[in-house]
Amino acid sequence: MRIAVIQFPGTNCEHETLVAVKECGMDGEIFRWNRPEQELCEFDGYVIPGGFSYQDRVRAGVIASKEPVMATLREEAANGKPIIGICNGFQILVESGILPFGDGVRLALAQNVMIRGGEIVRRGYYCAWTMLRHDAEERRCSGSYILRRGEILSIPIAHAEGNLVSSDKKVIERLIEDDQIVFRYCSERGDIISEFPVNVNGSTENIAGICNPEGNVLGMMPHPERAFFAWQLPWKHPRVRGYGPGRIVFESMRRYIEERRL
Amino acid sequence: MIINLRVWLKIPDAEAATVKNTLLRRMGYQGIIRDVRRERLLSIESDDVSDPDSLIKQLTRELVNENKENFAVSVGSLELSNGCVPVKVSLWIEDGEAISIKDRLVKRLGLKMIRSVQRANIWKLYIDGDDPESVARRIAEELLVNPNKDRYEIIKLG
Amino acid sequence: MKVIGLADSELESSLRKAGIGMSVSEARSIATILGRDPTLAELFCYDAMWSEHCSYKSSRAVLREFLPTEGPNVVLGPVEDSGIVSIDDEWCVVISHESHNHPSQILPNEGAATGIGGIVRDVNCMGARVVATADPLRFGDPYGRESSRVRWVAEGVVDGIWQYGNALGVPVIAGDVVFSRCFDYNCLVNVVAIGVVRRDEIIRSRAPPGSGEKGYDVILVGKPTDSSGFGGVVFASDTLREEEEEANRGAVQIPDPFLKNVLFKANEDLFRLVREEGVEIGFKDLGGGGLTCASSEMGAAGGYGMELDLDMLHVAGEFPPEVLCIAETQERFLIIAPRELRERILRIYNEDWDLPNVYEGARASVIGRMTIHDRYIVRHRGEEVVNVPIKHLTGGIRYERAWRPRIRNLLEPAVKMPEDLNMVMLELLSSPNIASREHIYRYYDTEVQGNTVIRPGEADAGLIAPVRGKDFGIALSVDSNPFYGRISPYWGGATAVAEAMRNVAAIGATPSTLTDCLNFGNPEKPEAFWEFRESVRGLADAARNLWLKGYPDQPVPIVSGNVSFYNESPEGAVDPSPVIACVGIMKEISKAITMPLKESGDEVYLLGPRFDELGGSEYYRVIWGITGANVPVVRFPLERSMIYTVIDAVDREILRAAHDISNGGMAITAAEMCMLSDHGISIDISSLGDMRPDRLLFSESSGFIVEVVDGAEQEFVKIARSYNLNPVRIGRVSTGGIEIERDGKMLVRLDLEDARDAWSSGLREAMR
Repeated sequence: MRIAVIQFPGTNCEHETLVAVKECGMDGEIFRWNRPEQELCEFDGYVIPGGFSYQDRVRAGVIASKEPVMATLREEAANGKPIIGICNGFQILVESGILPFGDGVRLALAQNVMIRGGEIVRRGYYCAWTMLRHDAEERRCSGSYILRRGEILSIPIAHAEGNLVSSDKKVIERLIEDDQIVFRYCSERGDIISEFPVNVNGSTENIAGICNPEGNVLGMMPHPERAFFAWQLPWKHPRVRGYGPGRIVFESMRRYIEERRL
Repeated sequence: MIINLRVWLKIPDAEAATVKNTLLRRMGYQGIIRDVRRERLLSIESDDVSDPDSLIKQLTRELVNENKENFAVSVGSLELSNGCVPVKVSLWIEDGEAISIKDRLVKRLGLKMIRSVQRANIWKLYIDGDDPESVARRIAEELLVNPNKDRYEIIKLG
Repeated sequence: MKVIGLADSELESSLRKAGIGMSVSEARSIATILGRDPTLAELFCYDAMWSEHCSYKSSRAVLREFLPTEGPNVVLGPVEDSGIVSIDDEWCVVISHESHNHPSQILPNEGAATGIGGIVRDVNCMGARVVATADPLRFGDPYGRESSRVRWVAEGVVDGIWQYGNALGVPVIAGDVVFSRCFDYNCLVNVVAIGVVRRDEIIRSRAPPGSGEKGYDVILVGKPTDSSGFGGVVFASDTLREEEEEANRGAVQIPDPFLKNVLFKANEDLFRLVREEGVEIGFKDLGGGGLTCASSEMGAAGGYGMELDLDMLHVAGEFPPEVLCIAETQERFLIIAPRELRERILRIYNEDWDLPNVYEGARASVIGRMTIHDRYIVRHRGEEVVNVPIKHLTGGIRYERAWRPRIRNLLEPAVKMPEDLNMVMLELLSSPNIASREHIYRYYDTEVQGNTVIRPGEADAGLIAPVRGKDFGIALSVDSNPFYGRISPYWGGATAVAEAMRNVAAIGATPSTLTDCLNFGNPEKPEAFWEFRESVRGLADAARNLWLKGYPDQPVPIVSGNVSFYNESPEGAVDPSPVIACVGIMKEISKAITMPLKESGDEVYLLGPRFDELGGSEYYRVIWGITGANVPVVRFPLERSMIYTVIDAVDREILRAAHDISNGGMAITAAEMCMLSDHGISIDISSLGDMRPDRLLFSESSGFIVEVVDGAEQEFVKIARSYNLNPVRIGRVSTGGIEIERDGKMLVRLDLEDARDAWSSGLREAMR
């Protein structure tokens, strides 16, 4: 089972993402953007890691979305292979139109706005650990394949543009109806509160991650590879050996690939 | 009155270079796009003041980084040079950065006459061929704009 | 340019007119050595190389006299861009520490970003992977005469740090912020970067042995050279005057984290190539003094000369040779490598990593070769524009500066006992110098690389585990208290070292090395130079006397540092600010502890007796508006014992939380341990002697407050006693608020929510 971790100029999370992939028993390698894109077809799944591809020029993700490797990824997505876009990877999937429906740019990840009591209390870049509620059905999505609906994970975010918006209300309605909303920002008890700090970036419906209608492509703003080992977790968690909640995203990917093969 | 402050880099504009490079190498605009330049536009609405020149001076001092930027100011109309198709891109969702700029001017600098600040990018596309405007629209929609947050207009040159 | 035969006044005016900052006598000495009039390009090269920034001409004698730079763990002392100490037999930590003060005052965003950009290059060029940064910042009074400018500077600096560091992908794991009126016109922006490298894979910043005989290539990599930062080095050593700010703006460089991100990855491929081929190369980043500084220092360090051809440089326009020589264009490196690697090196940068398409005009170019003669020769358009003895150029000059104590006439005041200590506590908690740093550190990507174990806000030091599969971690902290330095530059230096070491000990790590970034006024003024000298003496004494744990009588070595003079405006100099960074090694990251209280019922102990040392304290300054005179001193054996006790107790896993006592004294230290916690604390100070309660609670004498694991109290006391310490049980972790009593009388009773509100708003309001 081979996973390509796609590296664009400006990507900066490829190494820890590859560690997570390998730790879950998958083979993997970092795939530089200017390698021949045909070589991508040999892989069983893909992760587009976080960072600042092309330094977020014009807007986050858009320049990378025009690279030839993304055209190949679009075909592989249509073939049902799993793709997980994390943070900048999510932004690239949205700008390339692979998410949410595969038919064009239907969403934007706009600048964060933190709103409390009707007032904007902060804007822009924010790095913090957040609580996520898994809102999709079990086995709905490649990257949360073995998570039950309603399970809560603690995973950090670090981005300036993660505020998911659409000019078309129907897009959000369709995401909800088709069970494409995979992760939402929630309180420690799992409540969806639309205000900061629970809604950490102002995102519509507290959306932190979505999948495509087929469920094989997942885009999420939080970084599961940074919550992969127990020692990476904040002070409140006991400093134990073993794994953290982010592992389940990569473990899910592996299980998804295994079951698809049967 | 509306004070239009156009600001552009003296040093090489890496963002404009990336856009040009992407259009040429990735999007099939060889032979069509000659050059891409970028300006940022701040449209500042102010109450009329007795000495607009000194207000403009204060604004440029605060908003322009002369180490790396040049600027031009016009009151009322937007004056752009010929030879390109200017595409003005701005947010239609709330623009947090514009609000921050206004807050800074009003609260920190005490410029109580400032009523609003609007922010945009002007992409100056140098296009060869018959119908530069429709090429510019295509480029805007394919690359420069995400309609879920941005809007654009082609500025007519006088 | 004509030097020989000109009168002093004529020479002076022609130097200034050309934009050259050196003195008349310096120019004459160059002409004498060359035996002719120097060219304009030569004068500019000398001017950059002999600047304070590159040559340490005022400071070197003092640094040599005092600083301990050797120790059993030192792999490379302060001779190149970064210092290196060993972690174990295999791995080393690389550290560098610099200031970017003057540029940040003028253009906060670019200035601070360039600071990060420069420091990470310093670490990377040793062959290391850059794994963390820390940012000690000093800003003016946010509520004072220059509040608008101070806030503009503070906001811009923080933006510059996050915009650069986050995009590059290096986590910020430590830092501190102090606001004081003395920084109104001179902010301090220091940056620390650390990296890791295998001991046998270190790359040196010098021409390798044999490179002259074999005529190795000199290869310049990165951004095309432009005129940015022209004169930047000289500028960094000048006193700022407001009317000059506009003119000075031309001296600031424009950084590009995106290009740097790609360059770092290409550099990794270069390092791999060199390892596989088993050859030694020279590798150095271009910083202050640009191409001339990097190239001549590498040549001189290897004992060779070199010949460069500026026409082979990739450039961003037409520039005269002196600009190409010393411009401080960012994101560049210089490689000295065997010719047989040329094609492969060029391919790494120009094709594999596609620099020309990543940044317009960026690439790798062969620009010259190494020689066995001792000259530094530069050609431009076929003409020889520089031909000087290389060691003379890099040797710099020395000044013996005069010093004279600064007399401040500070007195210890007689202040009333406050009626309401609750109010005092709330005011201190909301002081911008004590309040939560969350407003700033949420802008920083503290998690990137996935190595972060302890992040800002959780403890006195940050901790990362940068090598997967290894149990060790690297702790980092920074410290300097300008208010102490103002009273006594000696104790200001010593306490900065002691506190930085306490900070890493508070998580359980063992202090391993120190760096110093010395921020002072104009060294030509005897009082400022005295402050500098005293601070260096103080910090060196502390480093010598606090000992590397396990090696009695051996200092904690200072392996890297930087001197920043001329932090002075017509309003005066900044208070003496020797900023210290301390790297600690944590043998097993799973044992590291944090600051917040963990379990109600646990007993809380105080390490470190209280002395009447309120000089420079937050209490005096915030509540009474005075400085005072009784500055905290470092009692070396006591300090050492406290640090060792905490390290040993953490290693035995009998502490649940620890926090070192600093700003605000033991009362604020205890309160801070409740801020992120769900728990309160009940303290009884009856057994701490009869000092007046406010003095006892807010004196900033050093020490620790620790939460001991239930049932392990005896073991903890035993460890402390083995170091001749007498720890005092002062209370318990509670389920209530913050309570302090003495002899049955409640002195402080604060609701946790009220305390948190004060503490979490202080910095946000100051930066609004």
